Amino acid sequence: MTALLTLAVLATLLGGTLFAVALDRAYLPLLALFTRQRVETEAPDRLNRDLAPAWYLALAAIGIAVVPFAPDLALIDSPVGIVIWGSCEALIVVTVFLHGWSPNAPFPLIGAYRYAAIGLPVMLPSMFVLIAAALPAESLSLVAIVDSQREVWNVIRQPLGLPLFMVVALAMTLRGPMDYADAADIATGTSAEDSGAGRAVWQIARLAMLVSVSAIAATVFLGGPLGPVLPGPVWLWLKTGALMALTVWIGNRVARTTPSRMLTILWVVLLPLSFLHLLISGLIAL
Amino acid sequence: MAMTRLARWAARSPAPVFAAIGPGRQAETERLLARPGLRRAATPRDAAILLVAGDLPGDTAEALSHVHDQLPHPRATLRWQADAPDAIAARIETAWRDICAGERDEDDHLPDEPPNAWKGIGPHGQGGKGMMGGTPYGRPMAMTGTDIRDGLRLDRYTARFGPFLPMLPPGLVLQVTLQGDVICDLDVQAPPLAQAADADAPDLCAARMLRLLGLDRAAHRVMHGQSARALWLRGAVPKRIGRIDGTSARDRLIAWLAGDTVSVAPPDLPALLHGAEWAEAMLILASLPPSALIRAARGVEAA
Repeated sequence: MTALLTLAVLATLLGGTLFAVALDRAYLPLLALFTRQRVETEAPDRLNRDLAPAWYLALAAIGIAVVPFAPDLALIDSPVGIVIWGSCEALIVVTVFLHGWSPNAPFPLIGAYRYAAIGLPVMLPSMFVLIAAALPAESLSLVAIVDSQREVWNVIRQPLGLPLFMVVALAMTLRGPMDYADAADIATGTSAEDSGAGRAVWQIARLAMLVSVSAIAATVFLGGPLGPVLPGPVWLWLKTGALMALTVWIGNRVARTTPSRMLTILWVVLLPLSFLHLLISGLIAL
Repeated sequence: MAMTRLARWAARSPAPVFAAIGPGRQAETERLLARPGLRRAATPRDAAILLVAGDLPGDTAEALSHVHDQLPHPRATLRWQADAPDAIAARIETAWRDICAGERDEDDHLPDEPPNAWKGIGPHGQGGKGMMGGTPYGRPMAMTGTDIRDGLRLDRYTARFGPFLPMLPPGLVLQVTLQGDVICDLDVQAPPLAQAADADAPDLCAARMLRLLGLDRAAHRVMHGQSARALWLRGAVPKRIGRIDGTSARDRLIAWLAGDTVSVAPPDLPALLHGAEWAEAMLILASLPPSALIRAARGVEAA
């Protein structure tokens, strides 16, 4: 059973990543990158340069491993599944920072520091939102959170949760309005010195993370594998796919403001809003 | 040489182009790169073709060689003089196919070595004391200085930016001292290259700002005469930045999106950018029509 589940998780990650590439219309440009030379910068941190995309991919895999594919069935059925995902989020900030640090060049380093500055205030609302979703379930386990949504999905019970989590999803996947690491004003920031296969692998890892973060959002807010007629995994795939498309759409449509302004918005608006959300969700759950 | 399947697929992808834009060629080049078979690379590392549009002044030759050597192999340089846009687009696509087939490549123009000799003491040649000071390979180490905002003593990083950075106007070279993201010193070392009035076209000006706001697709749509169809467009540009004779960067973006040409008095660039964050500074520069920028930088040089 574990082997089968492992296979299902890996197949979901692979299939989802291919879907994400299609959403970004990036098949041919990504393939073309594999024919290009991988340039070495002057005195790079080689270990972290190679490890950064590997960490990013690994965190995507760990994230999706805690997602229940059917009610009562997850590869890692941890009593603290939400906390495992939360630690993945925190480590993504470290990973992106290392990606910007390793080429030993100014624009990647500026992107790295920017992302670290944005990452912390994104992390806090994310924790409040996820804890709010754990309240009705009275458990930090994702299996229990799915179970608590049999009557009504969290997206209806806690309407602020999904919109707030979409901000997190955009930041975790370096996309559109929250892409402060690889922004245009710093020549794609942490990726500015990436070429060839190295550039391609970082982009693929970023798309794989889109699958994981969407699967988590589908589980926490849309009831995950719950649904009539169709089997559980199919419902999970449909909901994950829909959230991936929504994230890509928002990423292409919403403008990115300057980092300092976004920091103000995160600390002054989104953080208090997420705290209010937690308070209301807590009172309802009582 | 027979093409592998991967190379054939690669050849079908849009040709990644990094453009070095010469005097009078900005509008043409920007419109060329918005064509379907071409892709504007944000960094030379992502490009295979270096497009040199027009006659570059002699003092940019070394910078152009540096950009050339940053393109990964295999690569090609195309010079665009009098060709019609269709002709140069076809030449780029042919060059991209040849590159993918492994039939075309260029060697480095400059030797791959540090710009200055190793100087100083210590295993990293940084000289100085402990982790401070010194000039490894002729590049001064960042030293702390008083932050211009709150007086914290932070590292100051000084570097030259330009003349071919895609988010700066073509030809502009800035020597910038950064503390983190904040510009605490700025010197215009070369003015932007002269551009014809068509570089002030509202759609091109709007597209430059949209790209900085992370809206590549909206920029594309605006350049093809459609509406931007983007959310939070105006709100994303901070209200207070880039104020010149009563209009701000945000006002000018709104005017351009409405299809109006904007003219502003030549601003005092160092005063406008001093104390701004890098992202704001790039938005401010993109919010100035090229004609005003050129006059502004000329004024600084003359003074």
